[in-house]
Amino acid sequence: MTSPQDTERSGKSGPSRRRLLTGAGLVGAGALAGGLAGYFAQPEGAAGVVLGDQRIPFYGTHQAGITTPAQDRLAFGTLNVVSGTTAADLRDLLRDWTTAAARMTAGQLVGEETEPQAPPVDTGEAVGSPVSRLTVTIGYGPALFDHRFGLAARKPSALADLPPLPNENLDPDYTGGDLAVQACSDDPLVAFHAVRNLARIGMGVVAHNWMELGFGRTSTTSTAQATPRNLLGFKDGTRNIKAEQIGPLEQHVWVGGETDQPWLRGGSYLVARKIRMFVENWDRDYLQDQENVIGRAKTSGAPLSGGTEFSTPDFAASGADGQPAIPADAHIRLASPEHNGGTRILRRGYSFTDGIDPQTGTLLGGLFFIAFMKNPGQFVRLQRSLAADALNEYIHHTGSGVFACPPGLRPGQHWGDTLFT
Amino acid sequence: MSTDGKRHGRHGAVMTAVAAGLALVISGCASSGSSSGGSAATAAGPGKPAAVTVDLTSQGCQPKPAKVPAGEVDFTVTNTSAGAVSEAELRTADLSKILGEQENLTPGLSGGFSLTIQPGTYTISCPGASQPHWTFTVTGKAAGPAWQGNPQLAAAVKGYAGYIKQNTAALVSHTQMFCQAIDAGNLTQAKVLYPQARVYYERIEPVAEIWGSLDTDIDGRWENPVTVASEFIGFHKLEQLMWQDKTLAGAPKLCRDLVKNEQQLLTLVGSAQYSPLEMTSGATDLINEAATSKISGEEERYSDTDLPVFAANVEAAMEVVSLLQPYLQDKAPGALAQIQQRHATVTGLLADDKASPGYDDTGYVDYSAVQNSQRRQLSAAVNALAEALSKLSVQVSA
Repeated sequence: MTSPQDTERSGKSGPSRRRLLTGAGLVGAGALAGGLAGYFAQPEGAAGVVLGDQRIPFYGTHQAGITTPAQDRLAFGTLNVVSGTTAADLRDLLRDWTTAAARMTAGQLVGEETEPQAPPVDTGEAVGSPVSRLTVTIGYGPALFDHRFGLAARKPSALADLPPLPNENLDPDYTGGDLAVQACSDDPLVAFHAVRNLARIGMGVVAHNWMELGFGRTSTTSTAQATPRNLLGFKDGTRNIKAEQIGPLEQHVWVGGETDQPWLRGGSYLVARKIRMFVENWDRDYLQDQENVIGRAKTSGAPLSGGTEFSTPDFAASGADGQPAIPADAHIRLASPEHNGGTRILRRGYSFTDGIDPQTGTLLGGLFFIAFMKNPGQFVRLQRSLAADALNEYIHHTGSGVFACPPGLRPGQHWGDTLFT
Repeated sequence: MSTDGKRHGRHGAVMTAVAAGLALVISGCASSGSSSGGSAATAAGPGKPAAVTVDLTSQGCQPKPAKVPAGEVDFTVTNTSAGAVSEAELRTADLSKILGEQENLTPGLSGGFSLTIQPGTYTISCPGASQPHWTFTVTGKAAGPAWQGNPQLAAAVKGYAGYIKQNTAALVSHTQMFCQAIDAGNLTQAKVLYPQARVYYERIEPVAEIWGSLDTDIDGRWENPVTVASEFIGFHKLEQLMWQDKTLAGAPKLCRDLVKNEQQLLTLVGSAQYSPLEMTSGATDLINEAATSKISGEEERYSDTDLPVFAANVEAAMEVVSLLQPYLQDKAPGALAQIQQRHATVTGLLADDKASPGYDDTGYVDYSAVQNSQRRQLSAAVNALAEALSKLSVQVSA
């Protein structure tokens, strides 16, 4: 991948401001031949600068980034609307965001660079990186529907802050938010670039609340994908709802006629949970116990009731000792639809790390859990069941957010249209 | 709050038989044991037990299959019509010892037995059949001896049971003293007695966690896992009242209920049985606790009395090591030396935080005064200790 800086490295000195500003020659033919482009490459006849060719359509019945086969990387940001913002400001922002998201997911920069004397419209770090199936998904937090923007009457009754839940100790610095942006891509820089640029476009209207980067998907959302592993070393998401399962999606994921807010039909609720894993403690638990905690074999992913990874767990099966083959407090038992009146959610989480805990010197990381569902009550029910989860010894929820994600858009529509009218 | 111990105790009833150098753990249908203790059954792997069926006929008792891998084996014996044959036995190849058997199977009945079995050649015998002896082969790697056959391990387990009982009894009596101060309305004295009672709980916690809801009632913290105000009872609710709300209003009843729950725990502990594996994984869990909820100050968030309970976690873990020392000296001298060395490091760091009489007479400074740089040193030291302790499980299992 060639970037202006790569080119500069062959020069005698560091990047020259003059050359950057005028640098038509900075991106060599090799880069263009690869379909990549730089700020000022301006190839003849290029209506937009194409970053790469693996694109996910931005427009559709539902927002992309929910049933899209989970990309490898995540950038997730929540933002708060700053005081003094009017409803018109917010609507304009959502229009600008729609335009920018449509461009970025199509492999384009958020804007063309034409003014040498102006700051670049696009921040530029993803130039030369393939778009890598970028999706941008937005959601609205409960607080957006307070008195500030006249949206109180449009608040879905199911959208409310989550009640206190077992095994959480929430850090206010990682909780809530008026708006959420989920950007997923197989390239971390491309995902990060999307959130950064939306926040930049919104400056003066919205401000960062909290942000997390995920490096490694922990869920499978398509039958075409292999099941990945989380930081516990176990396969995660084996029984997830998959994009191919239209019936379960309608039943558990997409908001339908049951909502009191027609504008949300075809949308979904996003629940985000920052889950710290005490990996040092986990790593010193012996294998058989780790498997009993999860309820699956570590290597194969098969349930302890037998079979292969995709065998349906038999929660009634007993071992030779007469005890349940999948222990009573095993994670997969307590989280299962069988244990929760059929409740299911679509999980789309990522492993994360924030580096080292300044207090203990241990790893600060775990699972950045994201799930989509028809009603946030589905998550509440599951999390309450998990009060008795053997895994709680090794994990703790430290961040949380719930957002209503509007349905998909038709070309010409923007997010503000569906929210305000 | 953890429910870790429940898993360690999930194997249920066990009884043992030791014969001719073969250590077997027999369970299930052939057993009459009914304790709540755990099993140290050393199956060859984490997989499912091998299933062997034996049909009693007048001709014999052919095992199907006749060859299984070492580990846990479930025998199912069925008598459909053999009037003259009513039992099947698993014997050593020379027929000198019976290792497991199912007797009194009249036609129409079935039964069975389970055991963990080492590689070798055995015989299935069915007295009265035209061919009474059938060869049965166990293949693969030898499973280690079960701990019951080892006097040092057996003594360690016995010592552990005594240690747990003793500390649970002390928990009850010290909590009663704590409650007396509360009943007398003496907040200052109650604050001094709170960590003194807590220390005993922090020594037995991995065992108390076997009974998850009791553990939550005694030691549950807000949101960990308690999220309903009326279910927030026990030590930490009292801690919140005394240090945060600065009141004893409502405390006498909470304290009485706490003692009741502890007395129930004492009864349960009286009949519990343990295994070396539970001892070592419990020791690791204790240090894990110290490394997470104590170092962070999460556990004693209102009182900042984390240091004495931190020390209690370490003491109890090292008690396990001390009980196992005669065994480990021969079996794993290197691992033992590493643990002792790392424990000395932890003790040295803790000494820096000692004070007399200390914060609330605990013998230690107020934990909120301990800087992050010191916490990180302590954390690195206890994590290193826990890592060394986690290597013991395989030593006592194999």
